[in-house]
Amino acid sequence: MSGFFGTGMADTVGIWIAAIVTLIVLGALLGERRLFGWSQHLLAGLATGFLALIALIEVIGPRLLQPLVVDPTGRPELWAGVALVAAAAGAPWLPRQLSAIPASVAIGALAAFALSGAVIGTLLPQIDASIVRAGGSVATMVAGASAAVVTVLVLIGFLHGRPRGRVVSSVAGAGRWLLIGGLGGWLGFLIVSRLILLVDRIGFLAGDWLGLGR
Amino acid sequence: MIERARGLSRAAPILLIVALAITWLIPDAGWLRAATTESEGAERMTSELDALVDEPLVLIGFDADVGTYAEIRPTVRALLADLLARDGRLAFVSLTAEGRALASAEIARLGRGEANPTRLLDLGFIPGAEAGLVDLTRDIRVDGGDDGVFAREVEGAGIAAVDAILVVGGNDLGPRSWVEQVIPRIDDVPLLTVTPTVLLPEVQPYLAGGQLAAGLITPRDGVAYRQVLELGNLERLVEPTEPRQLPILVGMLIAVAVLGQALASRTLARVRLAGSRSVG
Repeated sequence: MSGFFGTGMADTVGIWIAAIVTLIVLGALLGERRLFGWSQHLLAGLATGFLALIALIEVIGPRLLQPLVVDPTGRPELWAGVALVAAAAGAPWLPRQLSAIPASVAIGALAAFALSGAVIGTLLPQIDASIVRAGGSVATMVAGASAAVVTVLVLIGFLHGRPRGRVVSSVAGAGRWLLIGGLGGWLGFLIVSRLILLVDRIGFLAGDWLGLGR
Repeated sequence: MIERARGLSRAAPILLIVALAITWLIPDAGWLRAATTESEGAERMTSELDALVDEPLVLIGFDADVGTYAEIRPTVRALLADLLARDGRLAFVSLTAEGRALASAEIARLGRGEANPTRLLDLGFIPGAEAGLVDLTRDIRVDGGDDGVFAREVEGAGIAAVDAILVVGGNDLGPRSWVEQVIPRIDDVPLLTVTPTVLLPEVQPYLAGGQLAAGLITPRDGVAYRQVLELGNLERLVEPTEPRQLPILVGMLIAVAVLGQALASRTLARVRLAGSRSVG
């Protein structure tokens, strides 16, 4: 049972709609593509509508308009935000130098946060954690050394277009095989996740909709 | 022969669904279990929860993914019930639209289950991805006119009031984003996580390095954690039945069989090619 539905009339209608759409999606496996296409449109429309609703109700209203109405001079950065949004919205009619500013700010800020976070939060602590230290347990040392070796081999596997000897080619080949092995393992995890989702949908149809197995 | 093979490959997906449906309807066999009670992930999670202060304030970063939420849903619900059973106060926040939709559904479900509303706080959606996470470490805004004690405490003290952070992952902004953007900016707050198996390669190094205090990542961890819970009258907040194990096992066996068949036919084709070359 998914547990997303209660016992009211609206919940019953929701269960029926969800069951019908689930059957339409599964029907695509039998070759029924037209209804499946409509269900995809429905999903895209609902997702867009939900996103717009969140943007209006939880972001633009309470975090932008409300503070500006209450105290127009108290949050000057919000006016800068409004100007950037206006520049982005008016991009087709504005000079490129002006319309590029909002996109530049967005991409630059995102890259700055992501890159600095990756270095401070992941790269440095992970290098520190994988350093083999004397005095640790044998298992920790082996794990740390293995991680370092695998990392180096995979990085060398990414070498392309440079002249190299037999040793480097062999090492790069080993790195690529390790990478393929890692991707294979990851795809295995993905199959487990998707299989559980499929079984959950079958459980929804049988349990929530048809009332079997309760 | 070719027509028969085509017909079989067309019918294969439906046969798979029929097989899964039949095995779903078979009552669970006692011998088939996803886990014993021994799981390092479950033990770490339980000991971290035991170490929390009385009435802990737990910030829940709810950014699950619709495609993988089915896998972690029973564990997430059990963990929320466990936190409430420990008199925890839960503040939900999402940084993705998908996560927000699922968080709203879970908060509504807790409401239907008559969870104490004074212990739940909906902080809503925060825009800005990584920048939004950084903003969260400086200032937490409570919208929607909630002026309860819990809301005032969170709004007044911000992230300093938080005793633990639980990240329900699966989407783009999962445990990695919290480790990178939040943990370096706050004092010693344990970061816990529940994520689907597909994120195991990403999350495991953080667990091994101690950046994540505990995590329930595989279905095995989830089952082991749920088995030892004692929730009293809050049992009503967890899923009434455990996920069926038999259809998952059958599906995995079918996947392995399909993979084996593909490998065997490829090997056979190579052998035939080599044979024809040697004859030629």
